[in-house]
Amino acid sequence: MPDFLDRVRALPRLGLGVSTEYGARRQDGALDPLELRRRRPDCAGFLEVGVEVVKGLDDDARAWAAAGLPTTYHFLDINLDEPEDFDPEWLAAVRTIAGELRPAWLCGDAGLWHLGRRDRGHMLLLPPILVEEAIGPLADGLQALREATGLEVLPENPPGAAFVGDMHLLDFFARVAERADTGLLLDCAHLAMFQRARGHAPRTGFDGFPWDRVVELHVAGGRVHDTAGLAWVEDDHGTEVLPDTWDIANEAARRAVNLRSIVVECERNPIDAVLPLFDRVAALWPARGPEAA
Amino acid sequence: MHLDPAYAAAVRGAGPLPELAERERSLLRAVDPRALTVDPYRRARAVHALLEEYPATAALLGVPAVDAFFSSAAFRTCVFEHGSMAMSFGTWLGGQAGGPGRIEAAIAHARRPRPGAGEGLACNPCVAPLRVPKGSLACLERMRARLGPDPATTLATARSAREKPPRGPDREPLLVEAGPGGEVSLGTASEPLVRLLQFAGDGRPRAELTAEAVRLGAEPHEADELLAGLVADGLLVARGP
Repeated sequence: MPDFLDRVRALPRLGLGVSTEYGARRQDGALDPLELRRRRPDCAGFLEVGVEVVKGLDDDARAWAAAGLPTTYHFLDINLDEPEDFDPEWLAAVRTIAGELRPAWLCGDAGLWHLGRRDRGHMLLLPPILVEEAIGPLADGLQALREATGLEVLPENPPGAAFVGDMHLLDFFARVAERADTGLLLDCAHLAMFQRARGHAPRTGFDGFPWDRVVELHVAGGRVHDTAGLAWVEDDHGTEVLPDTWDIANEAARRAVNLRSIVVECERNPIDAVLPLFDRVAALWPARGPEAA
Repeated sequence: MHLDPAYAAAVRGAGPLPELAERERSLLRAVDPRALTVDPYRRARAVHALLEEYPATAALLGVPAVDAFFSSAAFRTCVFEHGSMAMSFGTWLGGQAGGPGRIEAAIAHARRPRPGAGEGLACNPCVAPLRVPKGSLACLERMRARLGPDPATTLATARSAREKPPRGPDREPLLVEAGPGGEVSLGTASEPLVRLLQFAGDGRPRAELTAEAVRLGAEPHEADELLAGLVADGLLVARGP
C-alpha cells in the first residue's frame, strides 16, 4: 500500500460541510442539511454523518445519501484501542451503513466512546490517555478499521475538560498518525479546550505537528463555564466560536496543505443563524475553497 | 472517577488501591479534581440507563439504592474488566429486590448473549431460565404497569412502592427469551424444563443432559427426542468441538 501522503492525493476535496447525527433535527429550529444545500450549496458541500450503528441512519442522512450527495462517516461508537470492539456484527453494520452513505472516508473521535464494553447506557466520550503506551493500540485500531472497510480512517482529537497523561495532545496524535500511517481530523474547538485545560496558548505544539496529514478540520461554537474557579469550555456546537478556536482554525487552515474539508458543527441551529459562521469559516480557506459545491 | 466522587477522592488520597498501578494513580492524581465534576449529570444519566432496565427493582428499593451501585466495588470491577453495567448491577443486586429483581437481571443477561466456554449442549444464551418466589412475575408486572411507559420519570417523581417482593418458599419457574432486536418474552414454564436448562448452563455432554432429563421425569426412551426438540426450538444450542 502506498503511504498516506501518496494516498491523500486520491481523496476528494469536499469543501465546507455540515454535520449531523441521529435525530439531530428533532430540536425545534435545527438545521435541515438539504435545505442548507439548496440555499447555500457552498456551505453544504458534504454531510458528515455521525453514526452509532445501533441507531443507524435517520431520515435526513438517508435523504442526503439517496440524493447521491457527498458524505463522510463519523463513528460514534468504537474505542479504537480495544480489539473486542471490532466484533463481526459491528463491522458488518458499519459496512452496510457505509454502503448506503458511500462516504469519502471514515473519521471520528479517537477516544473512549464507552466505558466497560459497548452496551446500552455505557456511551460517553472521553479523550484518550495521553501516554506513550496508548499510541500503539490506537494506531492498530485505526489500521484494523481501514483494512476492514477499505476506507481511510481519520482520527479526531476528542473534547474534554479532564485530560489524563503527560503528552501534549498534538504530539500524541502526531505519533498515532505516523504509526498508523493515516491522516488526521483536527477539531479546532476540541484543541482549544485542551490548550485551555493545560494552560497553554492556542498554538502551543503546532511546530512539529504533521500538518500535511490533516485532511479535515472541525470548527464549532463553545461556551466558557466556571466550576469552582476552573474555567472550562462546553463544546455546545452553537454559533459563538471562541477566539482561541478561531486562532487555531486560522493557522490550521494555513498550514494544512492537504486539507480536503472543513465541517462547521452547528447541527442544532437555524440556517439563518449559522450562515455568518459559514462565511467566516470559508474565508479561512480562500485559496482552496469549496470545490465540491 | 467521573461517576464516583468518593472514588476520585480515594485515588487522590493515601490509602491503598491495589487495582491501580503506581504510574496509573500518579497520572490520575495529576488531573484537576474540578475537571471531573464539570458534567453534573453524568452519574444521573448512568442511573437512568439502569432504571430503564430495572424499573421494578428501582420501584421496590428506591432510586438511591440504584444510585449506590455506582459507588460500589462491583461497578469499578465492571469498568476495569470491560463488563456490562446492567449485568454487573444484577449480580450486585443479588436478592435485594427479590424475584422481580432477579427477573430483571435475567432479562439483562438474555439481552446480552455471550457464548460460554462449555461443550456439548448449552442453554441458548438468549434464554434465561430461573426459579423465583411464587408471585414474583405478577409482582413485576404490577410494578411495571404502575410505572407506565416512562418509568424513569415516574420513579423520579414518585414515592417508593410500599409493596414488598414475594419471599415465600414456593417457587415459580420462568423463562426469559430475548430476540435479536432486544425484544423480550417472559412467561412461566414447566419446572423440569427450567431445571434442565439451568443444568445445561454453559454446556454439558449430551449424555449428562440425557441422564438429567430422565432424572427430572422424562422416559428414558424419549430423552434423546426431547433434547432434539429443545435444540429445534432454540432453547438448547450445540457447542463444539
